[in-house]
Parts: sequence; C-alpha cells; structure tokens
Amino acid sequence: MNKNLYDLLYLIKRNIKMYFKDKGTFLISLITPAILLILFITFLRSLYTSSLEHYIPEGVIISSRVLNGFTAGWLVSSILASSCITIAFCSNTIIIADRANGIVDDILVTPVKKTVLSLSYLISNYITTTIVCLACLGLGFGYMAIVGWYLSFNDVIMIILNTLLLTLFGSLLATIIESFIKSMGVGTALSTLVSSMYGFLCGAYMPISQFSDSIQNFIKFLPGTYGTILFRYYFVRGATEALGKDLPAEAIDSIRVNFDTEIEFFGNKLSNGTCFLIVGVTALVLLAAFIAIVLIRDRAKVKKTEVAVAKN
Amino acid sequence: MDKIERNIIEVKHLKKYFGQVKAVDDISFCVKEGELFAFLGLNGAGKSTTINVIAGISTKDSGTISIDGIDIDNHTDETKTKVGIVFQNSCLDKKLTAYDNLRLKAALYGIKGKAFEDRLEELADLLELKPLLKKSLEKMSGGQRRRIDIARALIHKPKILILDEPTTGLDPQTRIMVWSCLNTLKDHKEVTIFLTTHYMEEAANADFVVILDSGHIVADDLPNHLKNKYAHDFIKIYDKSDELIRVLKEEKMKFEEKDDFIRIEVKNVEQGKEFIIAHADLFKDVELLKGTMDEVFLNVTGKVLTGGSANE
Repeated sequence: MNKNLYDLLYLIKRNIKMYFKDKGTFLISLITPAILLILFITFLRSLYTSSLEHYIPEGVIISSRVLNGFTAGWLVSSILASSCITIAFCSNTIIIADRANGIVDDILVTPVKKTVLSLSYLISNYITTTIVCLACLGLGFGYMAIVGWYLSFNDVIMIILNTLLLTLFGSLLATIIESFIKSMGVGTALSTLVSSMYGFLCGAYMPISQFSDSIQNFIKFLPGTYGTILFRYYFVRGATEALGKDLPAEAIDSIRVNFDTEIEFFGNKLSNGTCFLIVGVTALVLLAAFIAIVLIRDRAKVKKTEVAVAKN
Repeated sequence: MDKIERNIIEVKHLKKYFGQVKAVDDISFCVKEGELFAFLGLNGAGKSTTINVIAGISTKDSGTISIDGIDIDNHTDETKTKVGIVFQNSCLDKKLTAYDNLRLKAALYGIKGKAFEDRLEELADLLELKPLLKKSLEKMSGGQRRRIDIARALIHKPKILILDEPTTGLDPQTRIMVWSCLNTLKDHKEVTIFLTTHYMEEAANADFVVILDSGHIVADDLPNHLKNKYAHDFIKIYDKSDELIRVLKEEKMKFEEKDDFIRIEVKNVEQGKEFIIAHADLFKDVELLKGTMDEVFLNVTGKVLTGGSANE
C-alpha cells in the first residue's frame, strides 16, 4: 500500500479512537441534541401540538398518532440539523488539542506529510460526526416508529443523504476554522458558542418563520439553513400528507411555511433539488478552500526551505 | 578496536529568526557518533529552536545541517528516520495505552506487524516497559510516562536520540531513572545522545558541551576542559583554625569562610596539591575539587543558572 495512504489510515484511526476515548469531548458534543431533547420533553412538544391544533377546524378529529408523528419528525429534524454542525465543531477540537499539546510536532518528526495529517483530521472528523449523527438518526427513527411513523423509503434515503451532505459541510467548516486556532481556550469557547448559537440559527429551537424579516433574510444566506429545510421536509412530509386528508389545503400550506418545510429566497420558492445543490456546492467550495489552505501552508514551508538553501 | 570518530550531525552557520528575535544566530557545531552531547543554556537561549530545526519540525532561515552525511533540505524523510526525539513535555496521547501509542508511531515509520512486535519486545526489555504496555498514559506516573516517551523516540531504531530537557520538572528519583536509561543506551545501543539541559550536573556528565546564550555559542569543549578554562579548582578544609586563616591571608590566597569549612580558590590542581602538602600540619579533613559547571556558566555568560531561571 502507498505510504501516504497507509499513514492517512493510521492517523484517521487514531483521531477517531481519541474522540471516542475522550468522554469529555464526546459528551460535550452531545450537548445540543440533549438540550433539544429536554426542551422537547418539557414544553416544545406541547407547543408544537397546540400550534398544529390551531389549524384543525372545529369538529375535525385528527389522530394523535399523526400529531405525534409530526412533532417527533420536527424534533428529530431539529436534532439532526444542529448536530451535523455542532458535533463537527466539538469533535474537531482534537486539531487544536494536538497543536496545543505538541502532538502535531511529535507526528511531524516522523516521515509523515503535513498534507496527510491535515487530511486525516478532516476525514476522521467527518467519520466521527457521521457516526454520532447516524446514531442520533437511528434513535430518532426508533422514537418515530413508536409514536407515529409516516416516512416513506424515499424519505429515509433522502434524510440519510442529507445527513451525509450536511455533515460534510459541517466537517469542512469546522476543520477550516479550527485549523487556525492555536489555544484550547479559544477552541472550547468556539465549540460552546457554535453549540449554543447554531441551534437558534438553524431554527432548531423555534421555526425560522417565527424570526423577524431581517433575521430571516440573514439566515437565508447561511448554507446550513437549506440542510435544515430538507430535514424538515422529509421528516414531516408523510405526517403532513396524513394531515392533508382531514385539513383544508390552505391550512396545510400554512403548516408548511410556519414549520419550515419549505423556504422562499426573496420571493422564489426553492425546490428540494435547489436546496441540495446549495449545500452541495457550498461543501465543494469549502473543500476547495481546505485544499488551497493545506497546499499554501505546505508550499510556504517548501519556499522557506528554498530561501534558506539559496542564502547558503 | 577504537571506532573512528565521525560527525553524525554537522550544523553550519544556522540562523533562525522570529521577526526581530534572533532565536539562533549563526551557530556551527558538530556531534560525534556515539557521544553524549549536551546543549546547555537558559530558557530562550535557542536550544529547543535548534533541535526543532534538526528534527525537521521548524524550517531554518539559513545555514546547513547534515545528519549522518545527508543534507536535511534534500532528504527530509530520510533524515527524519535517523532521529528520535523526546520532547520536554510528553507528546503522547494520554487517553491511549502505551501499546497503542507506540504502535501508531511505529506505523508512521513504516514499522508494523512482526517487525513492530520484535522492536517493542527489545524496548520493553531495555526500559522495563512490560507492565506498562496495557496501561493508558493518563494513569501513569511522570517517570513511567518518560520511559514511554523514550521508547517512542527509539521505536524506529534512530541513530540519534535528541532529548529536550528530559528531566525538567521530574523528581530526583525519576531523574536518576531517566539517566540510568540514557547511560544504558549509550553503553549498549550505539546511539548518539543529543541533550539540551539547564542542569549543570547533567551537562557535566556529557562527552561534549556547547553553551548557548541568546542564540550564540559562547563556549564549547569537553566538560573538563571547560572547567579548566572557565572555572577555578578549590580546596575545602573542614577543620578551621586561626592559624590556617593567618596563613591564607599571609599567602594572599582567595578564600571564603563557610559555617563548617573554608573554601580556598586555587589556580589548578597542582597549586592545590602544593598548598595541601606545604600546610598538612594545619588540617586533617580536606578535599581538592575541580571547578563546577555552574562556575563555568557564570564566567562564560555572566548569568547564574538556577533551575532554568537566570540571575545576572
């Protein structure tokens, strides 16, 4: 096997092992999903249920399983939309810890290329974030199966695809930002800030439609928003259709808008394909930025060596 | 048959600046194969910067470095396999076991499978590691961790072992243990040891000493030669008498009265011997001692080394 590939595999394995062995980092990265779960249990569930009931005309009886299926879908989509980003930021603090603790130096005294080390952080972060998010997704599916399952096979596939795509976006963003941070204090502060802020920004705690217009406009410029919308759509699509059997079309349209299952960008309604494209293209741009940063850093070192040789 | 002495490290006109700070400013020195070479200096003298450049962690601004006859600029990976480094602070993954740490680092040098197990066996015997291999580093004492650090630095059978202040912050017992390891390596394993330290007694154990001050080499020689050049020998007489003090004053000798002895400065061992023989009737309890490395350091740099901090 090629040495670079072999080194890459070993470093990825090491980074993943470090994440799961470090219970502190692991638990911190689960803070956002835990907060959401607590909020849901304490009041969000009843809040969403009463919001839905607001659309039900008098005399119409909707099965509690449909309502529960809808609110559960909303909860799990909130957890996933925020986790794909916040877990990526928390689990990637290994980059900062390695630099602060001198472990990077210890790795770089071996014949390992710096580019391989950088790539190993990105890939291992993607793998750990995906594992945790898929575990959350599995638990979410389990919960939905108990309270009200309205997902089709296509919904499940699209949810998994969106999880993989949004996680890639989160991992790239976290790796790029955290590769510039040198102190653990700043790294921890950033993870905490992202964990607490992103839940609001992606509409995990309350629907984006409830924010003021200016904030909504700002949020629409964040590519992660479109990942959230996709989760919302596929998680509650089946339950919304079930509601549609008993509710008027206007009520269903209102539910779709108010519960973020569709989004408009300055008056234009965006299709799911467009949302996927926005997240995908952003991930590609971030990937290109990551590669550029790694190469520029590597070339800067080579150039310095060349200057030193020329001076001799 | 005596081994032909050859230079395993050759550093010529090395410069490394950090902005306006001249961390290393045009230094040249050689390290002979198999010797214990000590870099002595205060914090900030340029010791760690020099070894970081030799180990390939940092780039240099100018100068040349060859390791085992190979220029590090042209064959970085090749020279990296010839050097093992023990950092001042342990750079291993504390959550992982000693075995996992050593296996990962060995893998990065391309050592795997049986080759790794065989090498591990050798090191475990040499450094008494067997009971520690399955233990995670966070559960080890400072001394045990230091042994793992040394094993990690030797895992790829380097020709040169660099130790950056390996005993700083360790208790006396652990320092003795570390030195016992180093002496074993020096005696049996044909490894060249390159040590940075600010402990005088450690420098005195070396085959060759270079004293660094503010990025410059201010003295370099065998420890004894340095003592002869820069420090005075002295006589310690434990049975003080008025007659002895009268003689010392009469002969205009430089002396210091301590609580239970008199310290008399002599130019060299010959003068000391002559004084003792000439006045043997004045005392019974006497020692003739060589100058200390502390004195050498004081006379060379004008600074006093007290556990890493300096008093001018």
